[in-house]
Amino acid sequence: MQTSAAPVLQLTDIEKIYQTKTIETVALHRINLTIGRGEFVSIMGPSGCGKSTLLSLMGLLDEPTHGTVAVDGRPVQSYSDKELAGLRNLKIGFVFQSYHLINDLAVLDNVELPLLYRPGLGSKERRQRALAALDKVGLSARTNHFPSQLSGGQRQRVAIARALAGAPEIILADEPTGNLDSVMGEEIMDLLLGLNREHGTTIVMVTHDEQQALKTQRLIRLFDGSQVG
Amino acid sequence: MIRHLFTLMWNRKRANGLLVLEILLAFVVLFGVSSLGVYLWRNYRAPLGFAYEQVWNVSLNPGGQPSRGEMLGSLQQIIQHLKATPGVAGVARSEGNTPFAFASNNGDLSAGEGARKRVCDVANYFDSSAELRAVMGLQMKAGRWFDRRDEAANSRAVVITEALRDALFAPGESPLGQVIQGPKDWKEVWKVVGVSGPYRTDGELAAPKPGVFLFVGPQDTTHALATLLVRVQPGSGAALEKKISDDIRANGPTWSSTITPLANQRRVQFKQVLTPPVIMGVVSVFLLINVALGLFGVLWLNISQRRGELGVRRAMGATAGAISGQVLGEILVLTTFGLALGLLVAMQFPLLGVLDVPTGVYLTAMGMAAAGLYLLAVGCALYPSRLAAGIQPAVALREE
Repeated sequence: MQTSAAPVLQLTDIEKIYQTKTIETVALHRINLTIGRGEFVSIMGPSGCGKSTLLSLMGLLDEPTHGTVAVDGRPVQSYSDKELAGLRNLKIGFVFQSYHLINDLAVLDNVELPLLYRPGLGSKERRQRALAALDKVGLSARTNHFPSQLSGGQRQRVAIARALAGAPEIILADEPTGNLDSVMGEEIMDLLLGLNREHGTTIVMVTHDEQQALKTQRLIRLFDGSQVG
Repeated sequence: MIRHLFTLMWNRKRANGLLVLEILLAFVVLFGVSSLGVYLWRNYRAPLGFAYEQVWNVSLNPGGQPSRGEMLGSLQQIIQHLKATPGVAGVARSEGNTPFAFASNNGDLSAGEGARKRVCDVANYFDSSAELRAVMGLQMKAGRWFDRRDEAANSRAVVITEALRDALFAPGESPLGQVIQGPKDWKEVWKVVGVSGPYRTDGELAAPKPGVFLFVGPQDTTHALATLLVRVQPGSGAALEKKISDDIRANGPTWSSTITPLANQRRVQFKQVLTPPVIMGVVSVFLLINVALGLFGVLWLNISQRRGELGVRRAMGATAGAISGQVLGEILVLTTFGLALGLLVAMQFPLLGVLDVPTGVYLTAMGMAAAGLYLLAVGCALYPSRLAAGIQPAVALREE
């Protein structure tokens, strides 16, 4: 798959300041970033440098204090909660370091989760899409298991299947291998690389692992909230 | 989404067990209060069957120990005096079970023989003179009220209420002219001359009972009725009351009387009958407040423990409204579980015929209790659902 020059995500002059009564913390400072369609970008930096905050902004989970976030060239700051939720549901898939699976739901129900919030999708279609996503990550045989019955690597695969079920254009992965041993980490990384290569999914991945970051097409380095490379 | 909620709540059944139990308890309380409320309300709405305003209960005490003949003579004199007293519109003799008097005289009755025999286990008996109908404004539905013909009749004349007619006679069968039997040990048979409307002397809040009026003629010494029901002209007050009392005392030095307007007796009885249900209602309200606080607390705690999950749902595309709806939906699902168990318990009452209350009362109470339960649950979940909707996904996910 070729990457297209058209930006799918564009961050302009982004600042994020967390303010309490006594302290003002600058989490991100003047970030300008463009993510092209089909790109696999990794973000690296020391703990507390703003990587996850940046990912939250890209995922429309948070608003910048200054600057604009544009999806497909359209700034989203004026979007309502409903419009943002719709955009997240249709365009973005999330993968978290701690998986964030719902322990009381079986694997298949977990994977169906984003589809529940998609209007007009029948239960049969939801089920089919969830099964297809599980098939992609090689967990077809575990549909009725609960997260507690799976290994860390399998849980992360479920989380990836959940992100894939909605067929998003972008996957935002926050240290997806952070809780896994090196073998399982490699497995997950291969899975993400495959998705990017074979399906053209745009992936932005926060990682601490230099080796994994080097496998992506572009590496962005953050330090103290600023982009340094 | 509904299936998702049911799946989620079912999978969390162990964690939610206590919550369901609490909801079940709330339903039982609501069902009990609703049943009592509906029962009392239905009774209250049913017609009393008589007009109690401007009617006074004059309870006579002859003092000493006069013979029945002496007593009857005195009574007749008193009644003659009363009838001639300005302000008195009518005087009737009665047994002590006058309206709102907390007194009853009842027993079983039967009609027919052999296979056609029908029995009414409990009916109120009202020994009464011919004037009772006019004094109390009783409504006749069929036949006639007592008159002079009954004084010389071989069988004692009775008028039965519609409820007793329905209990003793087949639909469409006329009771007029037919004979009914009193309690076995009385060995009396009575002849039905009329059918009246209800005569609910136990008051508005008591369940209507079948009743029978037994004729007592003016010369009857067997039934020395010492209670008079006196209809007075509107506006009559203390002056008339004093005159009646003085006239009775003038009849003989030992004679005395207690005069109470039925309206006053009704008020006293109404309060006394209503007091236990009101106390029960107050206790139930406190119980429900406890249940509500428990539900509220558990839901609040639940939200704070599930911030990560709710954050993920927001990340997956749930709007704030969808999150709020989910929290409300979850409590509604749990309420449905609790309600299903509660209905199983409640259904036993009409099925087993507990407390001899009509099935309609229980069914209405079940509906009211279910509606109340859902309202209670939604009321308790509203604030936690708003809290859940206000969770910032980025913050919630970072906390995890």
